[in-house]
Order: sequence, then C-alpha cells, then structure tokens
Amino acid sequence: MASIHPPKPSSGGISGSTIIIVIVAGVLLILGGVLIGTLTPQLFPPPASAEAKPVDDLFHISLVIGGAIFLLVQGMLVFSIIRFRAKPGDTSDGAYIHGSTTLEIVWTAIPAVIVVVLTILSWQVFDTIFTPKPDEAKVFAAGARFNWAFTYDVPLSIMPEQVDLTKLPEDVRADVEADGLLSVTSPILYTYVGQPVVMEMEPKDVIHAFWIPAFRLKQDLIPGRTTSIRFTPTIAGTYPIECAELCGANHGLMRSEVVVLDNEQGFNQMMVPMMDEKIHPPADPVLRGRKILSSNVYPCYTCHVLSDLTEAPQPWAGNVGPALNGIADRVASSRASATGQTPAEYLYTAVHEPSAYLVPGYGALMPQLNIPECDAWAIVAYLATQSESGSAPFEVTQPAQCVITDTGAAAPSSEATVEAAPTGEATVEPTPAS
Amino acid sequence: MASISVPVGAHGGAQEAEQPKLRVSDYLKWSVDHKIIGVQYGVTALFFFIVGGTLAMLIRWELLTPNLDLVRTGAEYNTLFTTHGLVMIFLWIIPMMAAFGNYILPLQLGAKDMAFPWLNAFAFWLIPPAGILFIGSLFVGAPESGWTMYPPLSTLFTGDGQTLAALAAHILGVSSILGAINFIVTIMNMRPPGMGWWQMPLFCWAILATSIIVVMATPFLAGALTLLILDRIAGTSFFDASKGGDPQLWQNIFWFYSHPAVYIMVLPGMGILSEVLSVHSRKPVFGYKMIAMSSMAIGIVGFTVWAHHMFTSIAPELRIPFMITSMIIAVPTGIKIFSWLGTLWGGKIRFTSAMLFGLGFLSMFVIGGIGGVMLAMIPFDIHVHDTYFVVSHFHFVLFGGSVFAIYAGIYHWFPKITGRMLDERLGKWHFALTYIGFFFTFFPMNLVGMLGMPRRVAYYLPEFEGVNKLISFAAFVLGLSTFILIYNLIVSLRNGKIAGANPWRALTLEWATTSPPPPTNFISDPVPFTDPYGYGSEGSQAYLDEIDRRFGLGEDTTVPRPAPLPAPSAGD
Repeated sequence: MASIHPPKPSSGGISGSTIIIVIVAGVLLILGGVLIGTLTPQLFPPPASAEAKPVDDLFHISLVIGGAIFLLVQGMLVFSIIRFRAKPGDTSDGAYIHGSTTLEIVWTAIPAVIVVVLTILSWQVFDTIFTPKPDEAKVFAAGARFNWAFTYDVPLSIMPEQVDLTKLPEDVRADVEADGLLSVTSPILYTYVGQPVVMEMEPKDVIHAFWIPAFRLKQDLIPGRTTSIRFTPTIAGTYPIECAELCGANHGLMRSEVVVLDNEQGFNQMMVPMMDEKIHPPADPVLRGRKILSSNVYPCYTCHVLSDLTEAPQPWAGNVGPALNGIADRVASSRASATGQTPAEYLYTAVHEPSAYLVPGYGALMPQLNIPECDAWAIVAYLATQSESGSAPFEVTQPAQCVITDTGAAAPSSEATVEAAPTGEATVEPTPAS
Repeated sequence: MASISVPVGAHGGAQEAEQPKLRVSDYLKWSVDHKIIGVQYGVTALFFFIVGGTLAMLIRWELLTPNLDLVRTGAEYNTLFTTHGLVMIFLWIIPMMAAFGNYILPLQLGAKDMAFPWLNAFAFWLIPPAGILFIGSLFVGAPESGWTMYPPLSTLFTGDGQTLAALAAHILGVSSILGAINFIVTIMNMRPPGMGWWQMPLFCWAILATSIIVVMATPFLAGALTLLILDRIAGTSFFDASKGGDPQLWQNIFWFYSHPAVYIMVLPGMGILSEVLSVHSRKPVFGYKMIAMSSMAIGIVGFTVWAHHMFTSIAPELRIPFMITSMIIAVPTGIKIFSWLGTLWGGKIRFTSAMLFGLGFLSMFVIGGIGGVMLAMIPFDIHVHDTYFVVSHFHFVLFGGSVFAIYAGIYHWFPKITGRMLDERLGKWHFALTYIGFFFTFFPMNLVGMLGMPRRVAYYLPEFEGVNKLISFAAFVLGLSTFILIYNLIVSLRNGKIAGANPWRALTLEWATTSPPPPTNFISDPVPFTDPYGYGSEGSQAYLDEIDRRFGLGEDTTVPRPAPLPAPSAGD
C-alpha cells in the first residue's frame, strides 16, 4: 500500500483576510435573508384571529433564516460553477482535499443552533395557541361527507319575547330543560370579535380536517374521538372554512364559512331566527321537512340531487348518491316492495339507518347522521311529496310525539295545510307536560 | 510505480473475455445476472414513470380550472392522484433506486454478482405482477383514498380496487425486503481485499443505510396492509371506530414505515450524488466519513419522526417530541449539503449532463430541506398541513432530490451499462427544461398552499386559478422534458458514441472493466484504488491511465485525457 496522501492543507492558520471575508459574507447573507423575509409579498390570507399573528411572525423568522441558508447554498453553488469550472483542455484534477474538521464542526453546529432556536420559538407559539382561555364559548362541530354543521347552545333569554316553555315541541323542551340552553345548528360558523371559542368536533363518517386559513388553525376530526380547536377571532368578516383531509369524491367542495360578527349583539341577531324556527316549527310536517332539508344543516345536498329545493343556500346537486327527484314514485312502485316495508317505513329506514337497504348500484356510503326521530319523520313526509304528480302517492303517518300543534309560526301556505291534513292522524293535542 | 496503481490483478486477464451480445429477449427472461436484473428494474421503473407522469399530467389538466372539466366526478379525480402517488413511489423511485443498486453496487465492490443471485431475480419478478395489480385496480372500483389509504375512507368507502392496490403494495414490500437483505449481505461479505469500510464508495454506504431502513421499516407496512385488507375483506374492524377499532392506529403504523420510506427513496439518490459530484468535479468527496455517517444518522433518527405527519390529528402534547426529532434530522441533511458544496470547492468542474443534474439536485433539494424545517414547526405546520405547501415540499425532496439524482445516475452510468454515451446536447436540453419546468411547477405550490388551497381537491376557490394555470403549464413542460430523455436513451443505445471502459476517468471499480462488463464483471480480480475518490492524489492518474490502456478508449472526448494514449481499440 504505497499510496501517499499528500499533507492535508493546514486548517490551523486562518489568515486575517479569511476572517474578514467570512464576516462580510455572513452579514450579507443575514441581510439577504431579512430582505427575502420582508420583501416577500403577503403570503398568507389576511390574519383574522389572535392565533394568526404569532404563527405569521414565526414563519417570517423561519423565512429570514431559510432565506439566508438558501442564499448561502445557491451563492456557493453559483460561485463554484463560475470559479471552479474546468477550462477547455484542462486535464488536471482538483485539489486533493478530504475535508476540514473545523468546517465540518461549524456546519454541524450552526444548523443545530438554528433548529434549537426554531424549536423553542415554535414551542412558545404552540403554548399560546393551545392554552385554554378564560370564558371560552363552546361550539360543537360535526363533519360529514361533504358539509359542516355547527351547533351552539344559546340561552333562551336572548329571544326578544318571553318563551312559554310549555308550548315548545317536546324535543325542544327537553333540550332546554336539560341545561337552560337551546341547541341550534347552522351550516355556517358564527362567532364574534374578541370571543375565545373552544370547538369540539366529531366526524359522522370518515376523517375530516377543519381548517380556517385566515385563522391559521387546523384540526382533524377522527371517528371515535372528540377533538377540539381553540381560536379567538379579532377582525369581523367572512372567511372560508375548508376540509383539509381527503374525505371522498366531493372533498374539494366540503367548504363553509366562518362569519365573525362585530359583537355579541350581532351574534345574537344571527341566533334568534334559528332559535325561532326551533321554537315555532311549522305544524305541517311536509313544510317542516322541507325547511330542515333546505337549511343545509345535514350534508344530504352534497351527494343527492333534488331540484325542488331551490331556496337552499347550497344547491342540491350532488352526484354521489341516487337522485331524489321523483323519489316518492320509485319508493311506491318498487323500492318498498323490494324490502317488504310500507313506502313510509322504507323512506324512514333510508333516512335513519342508511345502510339497511342499498339502492342497486350504490355502496354503503351514506353515514349514520343521527337525525332526531321527529326531524326524520318530517323529512319523510316531505320526500313523499316528491313525485311526478306533485302529491304524495302514499300516506306518511307522523308518530304521536312528533305531531306539533301550531306554536305560532308564520301561517303556512294553505296548500301545505290541505296536503298535510290527511297525514296528521294523531289527534292534535298538546302532549302532557311533565 | 506503486503496486496499487494497477486496476486489475497482475496475473490473469491476459485473455480479454469475449463480449457476449445481449439481445432484447435476454432481458425478458428470468436471469440471475445482477446486470440484467438491474436493467430489468430500470426499464420497468421507467415504464411506470411514464404511467405515473401521465396521471400527473391529467391531474394538472383537471386543475387548470377551479371546477371539474376533464374528469366527470370528484371520485375520478381522487383515483388519478391516488394511483399517481402509488405508482411513483412503489413502481418508479423505489425500483429505480434498486436498479442502480443492482447494477452498480456489485461492480463497485469488485464482485462477480450479488450475494444471492436467485433471490435477486425473484425480488425483481415480484414487481411485474404488482404493477399489473396496480393498473388492474383502476378497473374494478379504483382506489380513491390517496396513496396514504387512511381508513375509514379506504376501508368503508372505496371500491375493490383498493384491495388490489393494497395487495400490490404488499407484494412490492416483500420485493424490497428481499432486495435489501441481498444488498446488506453483499456489502458485508463481498468487498474485495483492500476495501475496508472507509474505502467503500459512498453509493454503497447509501445503499447500506437504505437497506437497513427497508428491512426495519417495511414489515410495518406489511402489518398495516394486512390489517387493512382484513378489514376490507374479512369483516374485522381494526380501524373501524364504530366497532371498537381506531383509525389512528393505521396512521401510526403507516407513517412508521412511510416516513422512513422517504429516506428509502432519497438516500440512494444522495449516494448517486456523492459519486457524480466527486467524479465530475475531479475532487475527493469532502468529509467522506461525515457523509457516510450522516446517512446512518438519518436512517436512525428517521424512525423517530413519523408523527409529524399527524400534527393535526394526534393529541397536542404528543406533537412536541416529534417536532424536536424532526428538527434534529435537519442537521445530518445539512451536513450532506455543505459537504457536497465543499466537494465542488476547488474542483475542476465539468458540466456534463450528469453533473448538471447533480448541481440541480443541490439547488432544488435545499429548498425542500428548508421547507421541511418550516413544516417541523408545529404552529406553522398546523396552517399548511394537508395543503399544497406540503405537496410542494415532498416534490422538492422526491423530484428535486430523488428524480434529479436518478437522472444524474442515468447520464453517469448509461455508458457503463450500454457501452454507449448518451447525447450530451440532448442531455443539456433535458436538464434545462426539467429544471425550469420543475421549479415553476412546484415552487408556486408553496404560495397557494399558504393562501388556503388544500391538497387532493378537484375543486378550488376561483382566486387560485391564475397560479394553478401557471403550475399546470410548467408541469406540461416538465412532462415533455421527460421525452427528451426517453428519446436520448433509445437513440443513443444504437447510435451513441462508443463509451470505452471509463469515459469519465472515475476511480471506483465499476469503471475498471469493459462497458458493458462481461458476465463475470471483471476479467480478473480487480484491485481498488486506495481512495475511491482520490482525484488529484498521487498515483490516481497512473491508475486511470492503466484502465484506459487495459480496456481501451472510447470515442467520447467530453473528458480530455492527460496524455496521448495508444489509439482506441476499434469498438464494435
């Protein structure tokens, strides 16, 4: 083994000029990084929550550091390409240098320090985001393919007029009596400036991820778990909500909005009409079912077509499940007999236990939405009217506990009343108060 | 002259082995020759690269506008990116790296073949049936749950194709494990006398680190896929929360494999890069031991970072330790990048196509690295998790890293494999279009991701249309650039300049034999140069001259010879 390694270039004596070059280059790199960090146009949507600012600041710090590293690497590359290119005809090799312990220690230590600093900064921001705030308002979010539903517990006291508990529909009264709060659900998230919110979330089917880009916050919804997310809106406005975890065909359409109102009064103004609808539901189950479906609170519209519901904020144009136009005729003529149920029972099963019977050609894709029984029966009553002729080809009998006396809702149209009349078999009597 | 300067043993080899003519049909048959298997891997992988690339083009076509236009339903769109991901990972990058490993590694070790030639062939022949299953899955209810196959979407909500895709991934996992065992045994036992661990080429180090990861991680993929398949076809409910299972179990097992899998795809590329940068800048690799050890460090730390893929799903307090490990892994990666820059420094850089892609790797991979550190910061990750920012990041790593390295490796080793040079002019066009197309495809994705566009969506908000159009057009340029390479490969196979044994004047052992090497690889036992990257050292020129003298020169003049040599032997 006669190979002789030439003496290593000494790494000991660093000349003064080298130190100056290193310092100048270092300063230039840092300046360059700061320049990248500040000149880069706004890369985020406008920040609208208390959490957004620290996240943006953290990013800008990492952009300055990353920018400096980027310039260092590309700078060294370009310099080497120009300075060390082989001249035509040059057959010699480069310098026989194997390494430099000093340099290797330096370029291990500097990145190590950088990541320690970034870790500490990230940890601090992490703490501010995840620490519970005093007086948090609670919201519950459900994600189902492919919409969002947000449920608020609101005190009845915000209603402009006194509410007579005894006159409430049975399920609504039970809800209010449990905690003095009324639950209302909306496909849009309402909140107001300065109110810290903790939102608990559960999916109905697959994994979803709740993301408000303007708030810089995201959290997955995982079947079998309740996860939560905290935010404090700071600027009034309307911002997109996206689903960020692949959830199926219309994942890209699983959007909603968060409406940040100026103050609590504004928030209450949004709640009152929803509460009013709960407190004074239309007595006619057909009308009630129609209202439930057109509110887009349930995700049905994301998978089914139903052209009757023109007033729904989002169109009923989903192509994942069977179309519901003319559903009543199909149920009456074939689907019900195929299962041995009456048409009304069949429709109720289809809403309430979606995978019990499958329409040929469609998989068990519809989630168990846990629609309350009376809402489900109202939906059935409405769907029974979706026929070619426009009238229900079969009768839908509402269970006794779902029959609602007129609680003072705006008078339903006369047609609806007429249509509803034959379905209301149970006597119109208030159920005994507890 | 020092005894070491002779590339082949003093005795023997007087009789040059007759070069056997390999026909196309030899590559379609079972063969235990690692060189044939290497080419089989490579050609199969390139085929699937075209398949996966076509799917990518369809994805970008669809995303030209915010609403559906190419595909009929969102579900169809989901099958596009699901298959794109699966094919590119399991049938392009991983087998392509195995192609280089199979062809080059035994040659670099001066060995006649891999340790287990039969096993080697078996590992390859698992790939075609898996590929057929993947493509078949498109026709029987195509999988639409992404390559990550998160249940319950993958168990309850997608068609039978999902089962086939899972089976295919399973088979490919077996293939990887068998290949990796073979590499480890070969490296441990078949190094020639005179090649200690620290004289081993860095490509071999990279394959060693990769193979250790494959052997340790892939069984977890197999476990996860088995549970998934059982959930799908046997009525179990490992991942079904409504029956007591847990969907997050999948995420943990899957990422315990799939994060190390990123290093399975990148480390061999880093090995290729060390070879290419050193040879084409005529300078020893700077910090050889640090590069070798950082591969090992990445391999080990890579097993502790998996949950950063779950920063928006696991319990918040569990996220911190994974942020720390994910940050730590940036350090060995940084060491490599700076060592490579040190390799260039003071060299005599020759801008061959291989070198251009090597330099392209350095300049693009660093962006992926910086993005990776940003993603390790939990608060920032929470914002950009599952957005186009992440899509950009992993393409900078897997395309800007792995694929650029594969391209560099193709230009670097094609002469050895075929005996012909690739056309350098076409190579430069290929590089220019790839570099520009790549950057403008994937860099703007950072922007739309941060602004609020989730990944895996067929529909997006209208305000992102402009950027998406730019991305799509750049992607079409990138797609077209691939055909320059394919054309170059086909044309050069016939008409390329005769390469000669060692067109780049490289010191590692694969160059100390004819191109292509004879069936036994070397005419007699090769003797490695003391330093595999000893460019500029005393004796290296003599060693290289001896190779030229022994095996003859080619027609190529990209790398000028220091002194006139005997006229090149007429190549056929």
